Amino acid sequence: MYRKQLRRRRAVLALLIVGSFALLTLTYGQGSNGIQRGVTAIFTPISSVLDRALKPARDLINWVDETFDARGKNHKLETEVQALRKEVVGGKVALAENEELRALLKLEKSGAIPSEGGAVTGHVIGVSPTVWYSDVMIDVGSADGVKIHDAVINGDGLVGEVSSVTGGVSKVRLISDHSSRVTVRVVPAGVTALAKATVGEPNRLVLGFFNADKRVHEGEKVVTAGWRGGEVESRFPPNIPVGEISKASIIEQEAQEQAIVAPYADLRNLNVLQVLTGGSHE
Amino acid sequence: MILTPKIVARLVVVGLLGVLLQLTFFSQIELFHVSPDVLPALVVVLGLLGGSLTGAVSGFAIGFLLDCLLIQPLGGASLVLIAVGFAAGTFRERFEIHSRLVVPLLCAVFTLLAELGFGAIEAMFGINTDVSVLVLRDILVKTVFAFFIGWALYAGMRRLVRPALVDEATVRRTRRPTVLGA
Repeated sequence: MYRKQLRRRRAVLALLIVGSFALLTLTYGQGSNGIQRGVTAIFTPISSVLDRALKPARDLINWVDETFDARGKNHKLETEVQALRKEVVGGKVALAENEELRALLKLEKSGAIPSEGGAVTGHVIGVSPTVWYSDVMIDVGSADGVKIHDAVINGDGLVGEVSSVTGGVSKVRLISDHSSRVTVRVVPAGVTALAKATVGEPNRLVLGFFNADKRVHEGEKVVTAGWRGGEVESRFPPNIPVGEISKASIIEQEAQEQAIVAPYADLRNLNVLQVLTGGSHE
Repeated sequence: MILTPKIVARLVVVGLLGVLLQLTFFSQIELFHVSPDVLPALVVVLGLLGGSLTGAVSGFAIGFLLDCLLIQPLGGASLVLIAVGFAAGTFRERFEIHSRLVVPLLCAVFTLLAELGFGAIEAMFGINTDVSVLVLRDILVKTVFAFFIGWALYAGMRRLVRPALVDEATVRRTRRPTVLGA
């Protein structure tokens, strides 16, 4: 009797393991499949309701964590405000010059975020639980016009790109995911580079330079490059703010041709995101 | 654990609720810059209460649902959680739980192993970028969270499936009857 029970137990375990491997082999590298589309269609409304219902509790817990964190940042922010005041004055002068030049060249006005295509706003309804993946789920999908590779932003800057999509849900691969690659430009230096993530540190992107003849400096802004051609093509529209250079030692730049960027978007605390539809390209 | 349809229904609800709460609540809160992961602890508790088969099956089901809702390759999370559930259940079948600390400690240890397992699955498919040492901090803090989560989960789950627990039933049967007027 006991042996029979043991055999049955082993058979079920073997079946589960073989089934998992089979599923992994069949579904790896694909986007969403029929099962996932069905399951997300059933559970998305429940997730949305739960997400909104639990927001006050989440905010309370995150507030406690952020309060401890904020105590050490006050002095640093005051210094930054002083530096930014100077930059605002310089920026206003540059804007005035820009207006004149655009008028001369008869170009259309365009902001930092591209105006072609549309934008769809979605709420985050799920976040990957492990440190190894940096994905979030949002409650807009192909029914809202979202497509794979559409850029995703929030009020601070670039957040990531759509990596899978079903009718009502999209998976956003954050720029902090290990498989994310963003072609960027450092301004005003004009250096182009590839921004890669560091697993376990969402507030740190590593810039690998394509051409190391110019130097970049701490505090310089990083925006999406948005160009086509070469081995790596930018899937993101140009000029979306990504972050600023937080570490750019001459040794690292010369030896490894790299610098460190702190993203503007707080990738650990995302709530409302905007998908830029129609502007991306594969 | 005696699996009646009522108990199975309760376990299904617990699994569904666990995955949904993980995605909508626990993954979106941070304490010490780390989000708790309750799912390995939940599977460990189910394994400890139900045995190796219940642990493995619930690990598979919870992993499958997680992969479905996160639109990621199916089977990865299931593989890790099957191992965790089966190991926890096997522990229960071979050893008695004498101390109150055993369950939280097991939850912590198996969460640590599960997080490393998730990393191993991801590494199997290739991680083409730097891995920070802070990953270790993240995993260790998750392990500490799992200790406390496991404590609460075990108490709650034990209450929820009490009618199906074999040892609880034995205790109830062997309790001396109260004699009125004695």
